[in-house]
Amino acid sequence: MIKNHLKIAWRNVVANPMFSAINILGLSLSLAITTLLFLFIYHENSFNEMYTNKGQIFRVTLQTGESYNNTVYANAPAMVGPTAAVEIPEVINALRVYKHGFGDPAYIGTKNNSFIETGLYYADPSLCTVFEIDLLNGNKDNALKNPNTAIISERTAERFFGTSKVLGQSFSIDDNKTIEITGVFRDLPTNSTLDGNVYVSMATSFFSKNPSWSNASLETYLLTTPNTNAKVLDKKMQEMLDKNVPEEGRWYSLKAQPFDQVHLYSSHIQNGYSSRKGSIDQVSSLSWLAFLILIIACINYMNLATARSQKRSREVGVSKTLGASKSSLIRRFYTETGLVTFISIILGVFIAILSLPYFNKIAGIEIPSDLLLSGIFILSLVAIWLVATLLAGSYPALYMSSFSAKKVLNGDKGGSFWTISIRRGLVVLQFVASTILIVGVYVIYSQLNYIQQKDLGFTTDRVVAVSINGVNDQNKVALLKEQLLQLPEVTALGAAQGYPGKNVSGRMIQHPLEDDGGLAVQTNRADAEALDVLQLRLLAGKNLPSVKAIGDTLVEVVVNKRITDYLGYEPAEAIGQKISMLPGENEYIVGVVDNFHYASLREPIGAYAFHNLASEYKEFLLLKLTVSDLSQHISRIQDRFQTVVDAVPFDYSFMDQNIEKLYIEEKQTASIGMIFSILAVFVACLGLFGLAAFTAEQRDKEIGIRKVLGASVLGITKLLSIDFINLICIALLIAFPLSYYIMNNWLQEFAYRIHIGWTPFVFTALFALLVAIMTVSFQSIKAALRNPITALRKE
Amino acid sequence: MLLQLKNIYKWVTQGGRRVFLLNDINLSVEAGEFITIMGPSGSGKSTLLNVIGMLDGFQEGEYQFLDESVHQIKEKQRSKLYKEYIGFVFQQYHLIDELTVYENIETPLLYKNIKSSERKALVADMLDRFNIVGKKDLFPAQLSGGQQQLVGIARALVAKPKLILADEPTGNLNSTQSQEIMELFATLNAEGVTIIQATHSETNAGYGSRTIHLLDGRRDHSR
Repeated sequence: MIKNHLKIAWRNVVANPMFSAINILGLSLSLAITTLLFLFIYHENSFNEMYTNKGQIFRVTLQTGESYNNTVYANAPAMVGPTAAVEIPEVINALRVYKHGFGDPAYIGTKNNSFIETGLYYADPSLCTVFEIDLLNGNKDNALKNPNTAIISERTAERFFGTSKVLGQSFSIDDNKTIEITGVFRDLPTNSTLDGNVYVSMATSFFSKNPSWSNASLETYLLTTPNTNAKVLDKKMQEMLDKNVPEEGRWYSLKAQPFDQVHLYSSHIQNGYSSRKGSIDQVSSLSWLAFLILIIACINYMNLATARSQKRSREVGVSKTLGASKSSLIRRFYTETGLVTFISIILGVFIAILSLPYFNKIAGIEIPSDLLLSGIFILSLVAIWLVATLLAGSYPALYMSSFSAKKVLNGDKGGSFWTISIRRGLVVLQFVASTILIVGVYVIYSQLNYIQQKDLGFTTDRVVAVSINGVNDQNKVALLKEQLLQLPEVTALGAAQGYPGKNVSGRMIQHPLEDDGGLAVQTNRADAEALDVLQLRLLAGKNLPSVKAIGDTLVEVVVNKRITDYLGYEPAEAIGQKISMLPGENEYIVGVVDNFHYASLREPIGAYAFHNLASEYKEFLLLKLTVSDLSQHISRIQDRFQTVVDAVPFDYSFMDQNIEKLYIEEKQTASIGMIFSILAVFVACLGLFGLAAFTAEQRDKEIGIRKVLGASVLGITKLLSIDFINLICIALLIAFPLSYYIMNNWLQEFAYRIHIGWTPFVFTALFALLVAIMTVSFQSIKAALRNPITALRKE
Repeated sequence: MLLQLKNIYKWVTQGGRRVFLLNDINLSVEAGEFITIMGPSGSGKSTLLNVIGMLDGFQEGEYQFLDESVHQIKEKQRSKLYKEYIGFVFQQYHLIDELTVYENIETPLLYKNIKSSERKALVADMLDRFNIVGKKDLFPAQLSGGQQQLVGIARALVAKPKLILADEPTGNLNSTQSQEIMELFATLNAEGVTIIQATHSETNAGYGSRTIHLLDGRRDHSR
């Protein structure tokens, strides 16, 4: 019987090439998208699965109080890990990890070469125990015990030394420390939050020599006894703080975050070191997208199948008089759907495999292609196939199998009020889904555009940041400045600890009159030229002094308006006022600049100050160039750079790109969303196209009679199209409030955001109607142009 | 007694008035009869045939098929009756377009869950008998109307039904083809198959053993 079903199904597929093509094309495109999104979702959810201890690992997060905006950080003070391991019985082992230069690249020197390494961490010896990292070479237990030792990944070893047999070899970091390699580990998988290429022993770092309870810079992981509860840990860590830290030093509390939540549930947590940060929001919005697209394709199938049911109905009737039961007919239609979805899924997977590299690039992830061969993936394909078959096949199977034999055989053409209503309902549903997608993508793009166009309060135009972190000799820095300024394309050059879009030092400003805990402030050690390069708007006073006499202990500070507002001054009044920001220094406000967006537009603008106290390194040179084609001139700058400091690799970034990086997740979601929305609309239109063809076919005779009676081609085209246009309009009306609600919610994430005006809706309406009219009228015009006699002769 | 209809009424309501499609029909059919139902267009021939074939219901009356009451039959039992006892022949042949001649004839056997080897033998018999062996791999669209109707009859017969219901079986055929089909019916009837046909044609009626005349849904006893 199943053979017979398949036979009929296959012949039906072959006998109607156009409709089979529409069905298969639509389904396979959507299934390709579903497959890709599934891979993405699966990959995100599979994060850190390989660590068998994962259920027992917690990350210590640090929550600040009211005066620090209740921010949550992924880093804890250096004392927390070791103390917890001793004082909290549930904690078996503690691991502290610190990324070189808070995420700034490290300059690696080997015998013959120098490299920029962005994945260099410092870690406690417990690294290999807590995360069970196996060493290919070297002893796991004492690999990171001694100062100036490191373990290194296989691939990085090959990069630095050309071989993975590097035990005992050494390299230098930032030209001042020499590190010996005591182990080589297998490259960490792409779905691991741990993303280090080099782990240097914590004993090497500043933090092991000066552990404190206040400087919170270390990502700290606790390996606990099985079934330890996060709440219990929170409580015990609080007790630990109460015991060890005097009350005035307790400006934070500690919370344990289960390790399996670190990847997807950390978007509110600042300063995590891993370059691989997932977001449950992104995962869930893409899951919805996958689901919507699958629904659209399944509706296509349903619509086309039921539209064709008028022809198929005779077959149903005959089969019934031949003794077919309802259930055997249901099975037959499911078989047919199953065949079509099977062909589509094969095609879809093929498309997905071909487009995986592009998808990886757009989404900014690394889904390994061997995931496509894994058992779980094959299994889920079968699941997707079953779901698609059940979903798409349900309506035709249940609807058509219930045809009454008598009605059908007596030439009742079907198409009752209900069936037509359901078909219309499905078209509306499809377009509601498509409309939401279009509006959504439009709003996301408008917001991104707004961010790009928005006056940030400083300029990113033609500004390049060159890292001089590896240059330790101040004379060389001076020489470098001089050399670079000689280049004709460099008009201005300043040095600073950081630049907008990059975290600088967090401090507190005390209010002179009120004891309100103070105001958290970002402080940036800079010189006068750096402020010039950034073109900050000076509201009052002047820039930092460009020359500072040796022995001058005064500290000049340029603050933003947020600070003068807090202190209760008009900008002009603030000039010359003493400020207490850098502990124990003699600091005065010399200038006030307008507020500028030094962080993402998601956050409201906070306090920001530039100062000239030598408490931090000036890690960057900021160059203002005259030319707009920056990439061409970079090599000239690099040449100059290398003539002065040849041991330090040249590392630079464009300021506008640094700012764009703040919105990378939105960008990714938007580009994925845009491509997939276009495909979704395309698939929906395929369905509309097929449906229009059927309507034209079905009203064949009516059109013939009308033409004989004198109807014009235009009149008939209108007659056939107006029905669909009405449906689209209904869909738009339903979708608009829904999409407004959804997108308005999304925008709430941004402190600075656009208002959703009427433009996205007008755009979407025009777009949807235009596409729909083009699709439908193609069929309508074709039908209207036909010689009426061909239609009438048929009867 | 193969089947019996007692005081069958069937109507539709139009504009508040009942329009009778079947009006007090009484009919008993013995096994082995060849009955012709005649009457002008709209007299209720097809309706009566549909009621007998259980494709259509009725409002009042009693219908016994092989001593089983049909008035309130369920879909499952109905398809069982079709499988066991009844074969249909249609004016428009109603072959399944996607299936070949062979497969069309085979279909009722599939629904009866007959074994593959036995199916082959039965279908081969039919092909032989109707001289269409050479056409077994063709699709309906490749056959003439007369040939299609032959296939339709072969399909109706293959499951060895007790009763064949034929609604204008020759309505779409020319006279030579019609004659062939009617002679075939006569032969089948001689072999013991009960046949009920609806037709306009006096010539066709001549093949039957008994003729029932209908007029406006009633039996017309005047003729």
